[in-house]
Formats: sequence, C-alpha cells, structure tokens
Amino acid sequence: MARKKPTARRRSSKKKRRKGTTSRFPGRKILLTLLVITVGYVAFLDFQVYRQFEGKRWSLPARVYARPLELYVGLPLAPEQFAAELRALGYKFVAVARRPGEVSRNASRFQLVSRPFVFWDGEEPSRALRASFSASHLQSLQDDRKGDAVALARLDPLEIGSIHTARQEDRILLQLDQAPDTLIRALIAVEDRGFYTHHGISPRAVARAFLANVQSGRVVQGGSTLTQQLVKNFFLTNQRSLWRKFNEAIMSLLLERRYEKDEILEAYLNEIYLAQDGQRAIHGFGLGSRFLFQRPLQELSTAQMALLVGMVKGPSYYDPRRHPERARERRDLVLQIMQEQDIISQAEYQKARREGLGLVQAAAGTSKSFPAFLDLVRRQLRRDYNESDLVSEGLRIFTTLDPQVQWALQKSLDARIRPLLDKQPELEGAGLVTHSANGEVLALAGGRQAGFAGFNRALDAQRHVGSLIKPAVYLTALEQPGRYNLASRIDDGPLEFEQSGQLWKPENYDREFHGEVMLYQALASSYNVATARLGLELGVNAVIKTLRRLSVEEPLNPYPSLFLGATDLSPLTVTELYLNFASGGFRVPLRSIREVLDANGEPLQRYELSVERVIDPGPAYLVHRALQMVIEEGTGRALNGRFSAQLGLAGKTGTTNDLRDSWFAGYDGEKLGVIWMGRDDNKPMGLSGGSGAMQVWAALYAAAGAVAAQPMKPDTVEWYQVDKLSGGLADSGCDNTVQLPFVEAGSKPPNAPCARGGALRWLPEWLR
Amino acid sequence: MKRLVAVLFVLLGACTTGPQRSLPPVVEGSASRPPIGGATAPGDTAPQPVEVPPSAPATGGAVIALLDRADSYRASGDSANEAAAIERALRIEPNNARLWSRLAATRLEQGQPRQAEQLALKSNALSRGDRRLQAQNWQLVARARWALDDGAGARAAERKARDLGGS
Repeated sequence: MARKKPTARRRSSKKKRRKGTTSRFPGRKILLTLLVITVGYVAFLDFQVYRQFEGKRWSLPARVYARPLELYVGLPLAPEQFAAELRALGYKFVAVARRPGEVSRNASRFQLVSRPFVFWDGEEPSRALRASFSASHLQSLQDDRKGDAVALARLDPLEIGSIHTARQEDRILLQLDQAPDTLIRALIAVEDRGFYTHHGISPRAVARAFLANVQSGRVVQGGSTLTQQLVKNFFLTNQRSLWRKFNEAIMSLLLERRYEKDEILEAYLNEIYLAQDGQRAIHGFGLGSRFLFQRPLQELSTAQMALLVGMVKGPSYYDPRRHPERARERRDLVLQIMQEQDIISQAEYQKARREGLGLVQAAAGTSKSFPAFLDLVRRQLRRDYNESDLVSEGLRIFTTLDPQVQWALQKSLDARIRPLLDKQPELEGAGLVTHSANGEVLALAGGRQAGFAGFNRALDAQRHVGSLIKPAVYLTALEQPGRYNLASRIDDGPLEFEQSGQLWKPENYDREFHGEVMLYQALASSYNVATARLGLELGVNAVIKTLRRLSVEEPLNPYPSLFLGATDLSPLTVTELYLNFASGGFRVPLRSIREVLDANGEPLQRYELSVERVIDPGPAYLVHRALQMVIEEGTGRALNGRFSAQLGLAGKTGTTNDLRDSWFAGYDGEKLGVIWMGRDDNKPMGLSGGSGAMQVWAALYAAAGAVAAQPMKPDTVEWYQVDKLSGGLADSGCDNTVQLPFVEAGSKPPNAPCARGGALRWLPEWLR
Repeated sequence: MKRLVAVLFVLLGACTTGPQRSLPPVVEGSASRPPIGGATAPGDTAPQPVEVPPSAPATGGAVIALLDRADSYRASGDSANEAAAIERALRIEPNNARLWSRLAATRLEQGQPRQAEQLALKSNALSRGDRRLQAQNWQLVARARWALDDGAGARAAERKARDLGGS
C-alpha cells in the first residue's frame, strides 16, 4: 500500500506538469514535487510505524518454567531447600505473610501465601498455608486460616528462561488492566503529564525542555511524550539527530491517529527499554520487575514502582545495581512527584522514602539461569514447532527441571573441579540427572560453568565410554540363562586376540591378571581381560544388538575393543542406556518437557509418560544386582563410607586410556545420575572414574538426597548363597559368602567344597 | 463411593509397596524368607537382610487427592487430564503398582493399546505378589492385544489372568 501511493501521485503530477507549463507560477512545480515527496514519505513512515506496532503486539517469546514444587506430607525436602526454592521464586520473607508471594519462617516452620497460577489442568488458586518440616521431609501441611490438613498444594513454577529472537529481546507481556494503577499514574506524572490530551507530540513540553537545555548549555531534559519514546524504542538507535527527532515526531502523530491512547500506553509498558542483563535486553515493566526484584509487577511496593519509573529516563545511568546512590535519588524524586500529584499520601511518601532499593541479588548456588538445560528443551521443541512460533506466539512451556537437583549438580561439579583448576585449567565436566521411572530430566550441566551457554557437553560431547559399556556385555550373557549366571566362572588370565591382522592384548587397570573369577566379580571390579574374553564368546554383533535395543543409536566400533568401551557416546546416550537398568528393564524415553500451553493458557500439547519392556525381568534383575555389587565390593566401594548399604545404590565407573575420561553412572531408587569429566582436547587429565566423576556423583546424591532402591524380585528368580572362593552354592559351612539371584530355570553352579554336601544340612539359627 | 474406592485402591497399593524410602534393598518378598521349621541346604534361599526402621511419613494423602481429581476428569470424559493427574501421582509414588495399572487403563481408553500393554507390564513388575492386581493387569494386556489384532497374544494374556485367579 505504501509503495503504491507514491507512483500514483507521480502519475498525477505529470498531468499537472503539462498543465503547469501554462501556469504563471513556475514555483508551483517545485511545490508539487515537494508535496508528492512529503506525502510519499509520510505514507512510508506510517507503514513503518504500523508494522512495528502490530509486530510487537504479537511477538512474544515462549516462556519456560521449571517443574512446580508440589507440597504434600512426606515430600522429601529439607527446610533449607524449601527456603532456597522460595527465595528463587521471589517470595518475600516477612514477619507475617499476608499477600501472595509472602512467607514467614520460624526455623523449620513456614507460613506462606502462595501465588495463583494457571497450569495445564486449570488454575491453582492462591492459598494460605502452614508447612512444617523435619530435617529431611515435609511433616505437616495445613490451611493457615482454617487449620485443616491440606493434601496437596502446588507453588507457582520458577521461570527459567525464554526463547526469543536473534535480537535477544525478552519481555513478560502485560495487559493494561494488569498494570498497577499507581505505576501508570506515576509514569504519566513523571514522563508525560499531557499524555491523555496531546496528539503524539507536545509543543509545550518541547519548549520547556528547549529552555532548560539552553539554560544549562547541554541536554538535560527531553520533551518526548510517551508516544515519542515508544516510537524511539521501536527503532532502537540512540542517535539524537534533528532528522531522527523529526521522524519520531511524524511517526508519533501517525501512531496517535491510528491507535487509542490505551493501546499506546499498553504497548509502551511492554516495550520500553529498562535494563541490560548481559546479552539480554530487558524490555517492559513486567520483565523489569522480575529482573530487579524477582517478583511480579503486581506485588511491588510503591518505592519499587517508583524506582522502575525513574529508570525509564536512563536505564544504564540509573542502573540501581551499578549506581545505587544515583538510582535512589532518582527514585526519591519520582516519589516526590507522586506525592505532589496526589498519587500517594504524605504518609505513604515518607514510608516509601525510608525503604531500601529492595533489589534481589541471586543467592550463590541458586542461579535461575540454566542455559544447558534450556538447550535440551529447545532441541525438543524444534522437533515439534516452527522457530517463528517459538519466538513469537507466547507459548508457555512447562519443563521437568528440578531446581533443587540442578543446584546440587552444579555445586557438586564445581566443588570437584575448582580445586583442580590450578593444575588442570582445561578440566571440564558435565552431568545429567533423570527420574528413573518416568524419564524426566531433572538436571543438566553442560560444562563446569553452570550459567555459561557454550558447548553443551552433556548433549554433544562424544567420548570413549570405557567400562561404562560393560553392563551391556554382561547383560548379553545373562540373557542366556542356560549358559551364564552371576556366579559363572570366567578367566581373567592373559589374552591375545588377532583383530584384522593386529594383535589385541587387553590389560587390566591394575596391570595384573586375576585368574578365574565369578561373572559378577568381573563386572564389579571392572576386569578388562575377563570382560574381553566373555565378549569374544558372545560376539561383537550380539553386544551391538543389545546396545541398539537399549536405545544407543550412535555409530559403534565394530571390533572387540567395543567390549572395553573404545567407542564414543555422549552423556545423554549413556543416560538413555542406563535408564534401562535403573527402571528395571523398561525403556523410558527422556523428556524435558511436560506440557505446552498457548498464550491464552489453552493446552496445546502434552508429552506423555511412556515405557516399553526391553529386558526380560530376570536378566534385568540380575544386572541390577551386579551393578549393586560394584558399590558393595567393586570399583565403587568408596561410596560405602558415605551411603548406607541399605540404600542399595547401583552404578558403574568408567575410565579411559591414560585417564582421558572419568565417568560414573549410578542410581538410587528414584533417579539416575551420569557424570563425565575430562578435557575438550581429549588429553589426559589425571582422574579415573572413581577419583573424579564418582565423587561428583556422591556429592550430588548427598545434597539432593538418596532414596532406597527396592526393585521387585521377579517370580522367575531365586536368591542363593554363593561361596566367594569357589563360586559354588554355599551353606552354613561356608564363611565367605555372597547373596546372588539366579534365574530359576537357568544354570546354577555346583555345591561349594565348604558346603558339606546334601548330607550335612545346616540348621537355621533359631533351632540351634 | 467413588472416593471410598479410590482410597481403598491406594491404601491397598500402599500395603504392597510399603513406605517408599525405607525398605531394605534387593532381597524381599516371601520367597526369600528362610523356610520355617525346616533346614536349609546348599541352594536354599538366603536369609532376609536387616530391616531399616521406617522414617518418612506416608505420601498417601496426596496420591488420594490426585486420584480423586483423576476420577472427576474421568467423569467428565477428559482422559488427557485424567492421565496427567495419574502421572502427577506417579511422580510422588513411582513404585505404586496400582497407579501404573490405572494409567494403563486410562491409556487404553485414550486409544493407545500399545502403551496400555506396556504400562500394565510395568505395573506387574512392581506388584510384589499382589495376584489380584496381576490378574487385572493381564486382563488389561489382553484387551490391549485384542485392540492390536494380536489374538494369540491376547488369549495368552487371558490365560495368565485366569491362572492368577482373575475372573
């Protein structure tokens, strides 16, 4: 439309020129040309401003939320963890909580008023709650007003990020009626008193500003109306040329002609540039409030609103974090204007002036920026949505991130890596924690620096996995119960094998050979030679087939060195592999998203829980037991000092040649954690699986809490006592025994020499 | 009535799964108890390891509240939200075999027989000798397999349900 107009005018001007030759005024030609150009230019500006305004109205980045904290009696959560979560959510700690978003704490007792929030399944209302904790659990949950027990309450979820355009803009969209009246009146009083009467520009304000500027000899005051400021924000340059001013003035007039005052004000509230957070520009009062105070705009005090209004004039000059004194003076000036204009009373004014700036500094270790996890979310979303919908449709995305686990993971990685950085400045780490039963990703660290968006090692680092692959070899064997059981003897003596013309001579980590060992011992102690021999009996293809069934899709090394993990996998794939073991033989697809809502809160999509049995119950139970033996007596036994044996933890260490990679994959009754440490350039860094990754894992589970594993024994499996020396079935005559499960229909070892045969049965203790 | 059924349903579930965070590891179930009044021989089953004292308060209240919710969604024909409520309950009690069974039934109604079958198998894997629940799950498997045109598989599942004493 805008482009057509000028040509139409040009045609008509030709007609006029022919007429004009007979005209007595030669200047008319020039005037007409000027008129045409002006009209065309104005139409062009009109189109520009229209496009910007409409575009901004609908361009809303997808907002991403962590899992909401569900409160119920029995919830495993320490009072300190609860307090950290509330702080991250921006709850205000007060003497008595009265309004949504307030909490009062007395040791392990909390009294709070939750915020209302619209979830997938409807609105969770605001509730007044009383919660009291033991050292490790939520003990009671009551309605604060009526005193009756509350079965379940859901807090609003932590907002962990947004998916925005390349321009890195971000906002929380406000509707005009959501903005506090005090804020709007203060804004108008300070920035543009004539807003409701002018037509886009205010000659009186310009004159006043001009005078002030002339008097002081520099630019001290702008005469811009809110409309002009909005226009200026649309085009985001800071030039102060006269031509720009002129353009802005024209566009402001055009904007006012097209739109209502309230529409302009609403756009302004959402558009105005307020602060900078690294690469991210903070636009609009909604996001500004979150950014400075970690609270929704509606919950701000008068003083906090005044600070935001004051910052409009110079977001970096009045940046309250960098220039608190300056910001405070500005805020007080705004408060004074508010009082003069009767927006607040004298008493309110005095009270607000005494208030501190009330800025929130993110507490150490409770950051809300999880770029590596968001990366995973984004990848999952891109499979299902257009990029343009993600950055503009205002989707609300509910993820599986558990901030408690995420903080614990980041702290644990940092605690292990930081002291080593002097000697190993290139040392990196990554980790993934998932819920074993439903595959939800609870935490993800893509590198040692948690808040740093860069190479995402948890998803993209392809590294030799070492012994981490061995359970796949042992599972392949145990799935032939007629041939193998956990007590089967395998030879850990010297082995030579010719592989495509080359001699392969696997060695053990301790450079020794251990003779005949039981199958479970070979896995628990991670003997390479015994594993290689077992693998050769089974064949590479059989092991690859097992790995494929267990969700490993990456290309695999097709040679016997595969048995020892000479193949590259990412921590993500290792997680998918071990989830099969942690969930009792079920494949559980990883999920980082639960639900997606559109901008109006209408459900768009659910990512449902699904499972699929991929390992028969018997072998799954046996492999689980073997992985427990890793901790009980194998390479993971250092965990025994830290965790009760009753927890039944299971896991596997992984170390690659010359200590290039340190791995640990382990699980309790609830979640699986996979940790990797190493250098990006794949050079040795001096840590084994046990001395590096496993320690991170231990710190993580100590902080996040461990849950007893209690898998159910399948009917096809029975427990037997086995003599550790001979590997035979034991009785009371044997001193050194281990309890092992066997597939009842499968093979079993002969009686041990220490067992005095069938003739000499032993009596249970209570009969002796 | 519905609420009562839901309460019984979950309490029974709690009986079979026990407190989540306090059971002894690995060795459990009747089969691992040493035979009473008799001697054990090589190859007899191992004795029960030490019990851990229960510590955490039970989470049944929250699960019942969510099942109530699931029931009301079900009554209004909203199976997507019904499933979402059961999944919420499963986050609280991931080893509750009855919740997995209920989710299997919901998936069948959502027209997802393949998932229904797998979820019923998952429930059985956690059922700790609860034969009635196992029979119920095999019936679900049978219905799912009929829906998948797997007649032989369905009949096999029906046989298992019958063997377990299910009607």
